[in-house]
Amino acid sequence: MDFNYSPSENEFRMELRNWLAGALPQGWGETVFEPEDEHERAMFRLDWERKLYAGGWSGINWPKEYGGRGATLIERGIFAEEMARTQAPEGINIIGHNLAGTTILACGTEAQKKRFLPPIISSDEVWCQGFSEPNAGSDLASVRTRAELVGDKFIVNGQKIWTSYAQYAQWCFALVRTDPDVPKHKGLSFLLIDMSSPGITIRPLRQISGESEFNETFFDNVEVPAENIVGGINEGWKIAMTTLAYERGPEDALGRQVRFKQELDKLVTTLCQTMQGSRAAIDNPAIRQRLARAITEIEIVRLNALRSFSVYLDGGDRGADASMTKLYWSHVAQNMYELAMDALGPVAPLSGNDPSARAMGRFQLSWLQSKAFTIYSGSSEIQRNITGERVLGLPR
Amino acid sequence: MNFAFNEEQKSLGETVDRLLEDHAALRAPDLSAEANGPAWDALAELGLFAMMVPEDQGGAGLTAVDLALSVEAMGSALGPIAALDALAVTDLLVRHGTPAQQADLLPRIATGELRVAVAVTEQGCDEAPEGVGTTVTGNRLSGTKVLVREAAAAHLFAVVAQSGTGAAIYLVPADAAGVTVRAHEDIDPTCALGEVTFDNVELGAEALVGAANPARAVTRLFDGGAALSACLQVGIAARMLATAVEYARTRVQFGQAIGAFQAIKHRCADMAVAVEAARSATYYGVWAFAEDAPDRARAVSMAKAYAGEVAKHVCNETIQVHGGMGFTWELGLHRYLRRAKVIEHAFGSTLWHNERIVVETLRMDEACSGDKLAAA
Ligand SMILES: Cc1cc2nc3c(=O)[nH]c(=O)nc-3n(C[C@H](O)[C@H](O)[C@H](O)COP(=O)(O)OP(=O)(O)OC[C@H]3O[C@@H](n4cnc5c(N)ncnc54)[C@H](O)[C@@H]3O)c2cc1C
Repeated sequence: MDFNYSPSENEFRMELRNWLAGALPQGWGETVFEPEDEHERAMFRLDWERKLYAGGWSGINWPKEYGGRGATLIERGIFAEEMARTQAPEGINIIGHNLAGTTILACGTEAQKKRFLPPIISSDEVWCQGFSEPNAGSDLASVRTRAELVGDKFIVNGQKIWTSYAQYAQWCFALVRTDPDVPKHKGLSFLLIDMSSPGITIRPLRQISGESEFNETFFDNVEVPAENIVGGINEGWKIAMTTLAYERGPEDALGRQVRFKQELDKLVTTLCQTMQGSRAAIDNPAIRQRLARAITEIEIVRLNALRSFSVYLDGGDRGADASMTKLYWSHVAQNMYELAMDALGPVAPLSGNDPSARAMGRFQLSWLQSKAFTIYSGSSEIQRNITGERVLGLPR
Repeated sequence: MNFAFNEEQKSLGETVDRLLEDHAALRAPDLSAEANGPAWDALAELGLFAMMVPEDQGGAGLTAVDLALSVEAMGSALGPIAALDALAVTDLLVRHGTPAQQADLLPRIATGELRVAVAVTEQGCDEAPEGVGTTVTGNRLSGTKVLVREAAAAHLFAVVAQSGTGAAIYLVPADAAGVTVRAHEDIDPTCALGEVTFDNVELGAEALVGAANPARAVTRLFDGGAALSACLQVGIAARMLATAVEYARTRVQFGQAIGAFQAIKHRCADMAVAVEAARSATYYGVWAFAEDAPDRARAVSMAKAYAGEVAKHVCNETIQVHGGMGFTWELGLHRYLRRAKVIEHAFGSTLWHNERIVVETLRMDEACSGDKLAAA
């Protein structure tokens, strides 16, 4: 065990730090912020991802032959730390990077890797995830969207729901039913679908935050070339489980931790500057107790990820431990935002541009957004089932 | 960067685990301290107390990181709590002891024959070691310490006292004139907690530890105790989790194992997540302590506070999972509940460490914004 960094790791950090200093807008995080409008913000994030790519900082731990940098998991950890330190913007193609790309890298054909990975790294192609349906959420294996192989094409009919970023996506990976006559897990396939195909309709859904990040996605006789299947026909469940292991895994958690750490730092600063009677909010002992807990938990999200990396580097497998990773970050992050709303005091309900809102209303929006953490990527109840049954060996 | 224990560290932990498993009396439901003696001797024979002693003093020259899993095993087995005092004092002497103190004490600590106890806590004082009321005037030490572990068996006390220029650590032999020990009545008699009164005790020439920077020696000892306590807490939590899971797998009600009920299954899953989180915080805290990293204070406080909360939570939940059986004296779950509570209040409680986490965060933020200014 050693948390000291090697000279080459330190070099990596300094190279990134120097690049970031030049790449972020002047006054970033102090006078310059992300656009408020949802669409403009999405475009801003896309631009940022492309800037990262131009600088050679996208898909850093993917193999060089597909446009990556071949960085180690440790360097990926350093990358996350530096992004947090400079409060760098988020990306929009998170599903492309963390889910589509990793799944294709792990299970795709060579031709698929060559075709799909480089444009994910360059963010020329944004991805969305077509798993959930109105009647198949937690019970994902009961999806009904049909795909029939006709000649060299699949014909896809059905509906997906909660499809995040579908409005920005060029591609969608979808779990579809290719055989309705076998047990539900055994008749599924994993397709890569071009979102510009005729027959696809997207309808935005409004979220509790007021934003419309997710959508309903309808497929009406959509043609998908037969080679756009990952894995074999009716082998989709196994592929989808690979996707979920990445979706819930330590890389994803570490990326999120960056954001949570930034927000926590901002919260500490805000509490130092928020007077409540004769003292600043930060001097309230009851708040300090909870703040200490939040500081510890957000740090543990990072440490958990690093511990998992070390397990993988030692040759350990990715498995059900991803459910524990996801359970942990989702709940502690929700707690942190709940703390923020408690600690801000009477002005906590003021949001957006209200002149009396603290920290320009960011905690109010994040607090609302955080309610999704324990639902998406598999709800907490489902993660607890998986942890109980597959990690602890409890009966079903 | 690597967050894994190496093979030697793991195998040492497993050895201590197996060794203490053989001492089943340590975990007997009845609250007797008698099992501590044989377990102590076995640990000494294994060489545990020599592990952190430098090689030129007859030891193995290992660090707290090397011993983390071993201390976890001691927590899990309800091993003799005084072993933690021995390890924390060893680290203190290695870092801050004079050559004479090292030469005199370390070889005897290494064999387990010299038993040392940390005497820091006092009644009515702040929990911070700097806040103690015990005082040294001239070369005389006076004051009363409480919750000293295996106090009656100790040969030497590491006493935190006010020197006139701040808190410092003084080594006081148990047989010095003016030292008296009274056994406490408490929730976990297996820790053999005692009150130690120092009545105008004359200090030897080599009593003061860390003369060059007495305050640093005090925090070193306190952080050592806290970091190693976190390992004990993780050991307790992990064992209780395993006990709960085993019971959930085998106890049948309504025609099925209770672990099939989500109310039970989900509690177990949450415990498992909590135990892993406590491990992350604790292993990092121990590393920061061993390395004397810039964030040592905060990392150790995170470990102690978090592992303490998790140990408490898991002990409570495990009793619940066992139903009426969990509340019986004979099953012995109360041993872990009691031990966890004693550890929680040693070397700084959760509340105290939480406050320190905030203080340290604000201090580090300042350093960080200074760094920003320098870069601009
Ligand atoms: C913001 C957001 C973005 C999303 N983005 C995407 C996306 O891009 N692509 C995509 O495919 N999906 C996406 N989802 C969908 C998400 O994966 C599902 O909402 C989730 O899997 C839960 O399914 P459901 O909504 O049908 O709820 P249900 O499955 O109906 O669950 C309702 C409640 O019942 C509980 N429950 C269900 N089954 C069990 C059980 N066996 N035991 C105990 N409790 C149970 C659940 O935990 C939950 O509390 C997104 C969701 C949100 C909120």
